[in-house]
Amino acid sequence: MTDQAEWFRQLRVELIAAWAIAKKDMLIYYLKPNIIVSGMLFPLFMFLAFAVGRPGTPSVMIPGLIAITILFSASSIEPVSIPLERRMKTFDRLISAPVSLHAVVLGESLSGFLYSIGIAAVPFIAGIIIFNTPVINAAPLIIGVLLTSFCFATMGTLFASYPTESPGDIMSMLNVVRLPLIFISGIFIPLGQIPAIAQLLTYISPLTYGNDLIHAAYSGTTYFSPVVDIAMLLVFILIFQFAANRLYKKFNE
Amino acid sequence: MYAIEVNHISKHFGKLVALNNISFSVAEGETFGFLGPNGAGKTTTIRILTGITVPTGGDAKIFGKDIVNETIAARRTMGIVHETSNIYTDLSAWQNLMFSAQLYDIGKAVREKRGRDLLELFGLWERKDDKTSGFSKGMKRRLTLAMGLINEPRLVFLDEPTSGLDVQSNLIIRDVIRDFNARGVTVFLTTHNIEEANLTCDRVAIINKGMIAAIDSPEKLKKTIQSVQSVEVALDPVPAHTEDGLRQIATVSEVRKLGDKFRLITEDPPAVISGVMAYAKAQDTRVISVNTYGPSLEDVFIKLTGLEVRHHGVKTVD
Ligand SMILES: Nc1ncnc2c1ncn2[C@@H]1O[C@H](COP(=O)(O)OP(=O)(O)OP(=O)(O)O)[C@@H](O)[C@H]1O
Ligand SMILES: [Mg+2]
Repeated sequence: MTDQAEWFRQLRVELIAAWAIAKKDMLIYYLKPNIIVSGMLFPLFMFLAFAVGRPGTPSVMIPGLIAITILFSASSIEPVSIPLERRMKTFDRLISAPVSLHAVVLGESLSGFLYSIGIAAVPFIAGIIIFNTPVINAAPLIIGVLLTSFCFATMGTLFASYPTESPGDIMSMLNVVRLPLIFISGIFIPLGQIPAIAQLLTYISPLTYGNDLIHAAYSGTTYFSPVVDIAMLLVFILIFQFAANRLYKKFNE
Repeated sequence: MYAIEVNHISKHFGKLVALNNISFSVAEGETFGFLGPNGAGKTTTIRILTGITVPTGGDAKIFGKDIVNETIAARRTMGIVHETSNIYTDLSAWQNLMFSAQLYDIGKAVREKRGRDLLELFGLWERKDDKTSGFSKGMKRRLTLAMGLINEPRLVFLDEPTSGLDVQSNLIIRDVIRDFNARGVTVFLTTHNIEEANLTCDRVAIINKGMIAAIDSPEKLKKTIQSVQSVEVALDPVPAHTEDGLRQIATVSEVRKLGDKFRLITEDPPAVISGVMAYAKAQDTRVISVNTYGPSLEDVFIKLTGLEVRHHGVKTVD
């Protein structure tokens, strides 16, 4: 077999394994009570806590709610599933399969990604039906939701590499990062109005770019250009993917 | 080419030396046993050979593929049965089995056929759609075994395959291993159960405190310790102070009372039998049975691992 044919064969095998891992997570973890709390109720309460009492039209609030929902729901599966699998030793199955750690990371992230898309549909549909908030441009919404979900799902997998058997350990580390992201990503304060020093921080938040895209679906304009938003989200996904791969390897030694 | 080739592997966990410079090789088609007490380093060895963890020093090859640098290629040939029965208790037996098949890229038709065969073999077919959280310990173990064999491996790692199994399940495993042997599949198994190693393995390595104390076929290992042969006698009636009397017989190094019998440890059983007869005559009693025993693998194990000899015939060492 040529090297190239072998490479494609292995790629196929990796994708099949990643999909099998994702399906397994969906069957097992989507309905676990702690995931429902952290993935569905938590983002809603977070949003209400910050949004209540602020002036804002639905066309500003709905994209913000979608972005926050994605932030919390996409990174809520793996930080629970991976420590539990360590405890049950089923994680050894994944890391002893004839696939690379990239396939394991991807598979785990896929389940968070799909979950998040499902959950983000709730504020989206509520926006249309209840608040009568029309989507001006569907393309940034679709691309924004897909990339942001994938980005935070991979971030969840990255954090779950920390070798603990207790989901709480990872959730608390994750919240140290997730909560500040809400404030530096232009969700409640538009990007143009953030003070100059904080402005720098907004650039290192993936949520900034995701929120910018999702916002554009409702407002018609982006703060950065859509190309920058998409490119930055892709860069974050790659960083998280490779960092996760690296850390899972390191922590097994 | 060897199925497994281990060169000077060490594994340190902080200050703890779990494996200390071990080397061995396993030929293709061989059934190789890793026998050792708790904490000896058996599981650590398997984790290194399956690429779950990396050695601190040394290297290992699986069918010529380096486990650290060619991990995926090496893993394609192997089946792994982990020490703990690591199944997904939220899934059914069938879902568990199909999931492991997908990790090994086994097509749908093939995995369904093999899945059925394996569940039937391990007596789980009727329960295939039940959630495994309700399974007994032995059923979980059998499912773990089935999951480890779904890819029809050329080399199987079995980490204490029979722990927690009843006699009947034990026999199934022994048959499976025998069948592997007939088909040229290499088996690497760890156990504390000496009898299991004795009955199933072509060769046994005795490992203790991260070091290999001996490697050989069970029979040859027994030959290395001829000094622990024994003669077992029963007397009727039993005279007073028999133990002391029997201990006086030349070449007897130890006397153990086993129920109504006495076990005399010696390196020269024929001489001891004559001695026993003379003793019986002098004490005016009858010898109602005499048996001689060669050294057991257990004796080898006890000697090499330096465990205290337990009296009254305790057969396992864990
Ligand atoms: N991840 C780890 N971190 C620290 N120490 C470890 C780790 N894994 C194993 N050890 C240590 O290495 C030694 C060997 O352990 P190992 O699990 O290989 O023993 P074993 O022969 O399989 O024992 P058992 O019969 O109880 O299964 C033990 O002292 C154990 O405490
Ligand atoms: Mg062990």
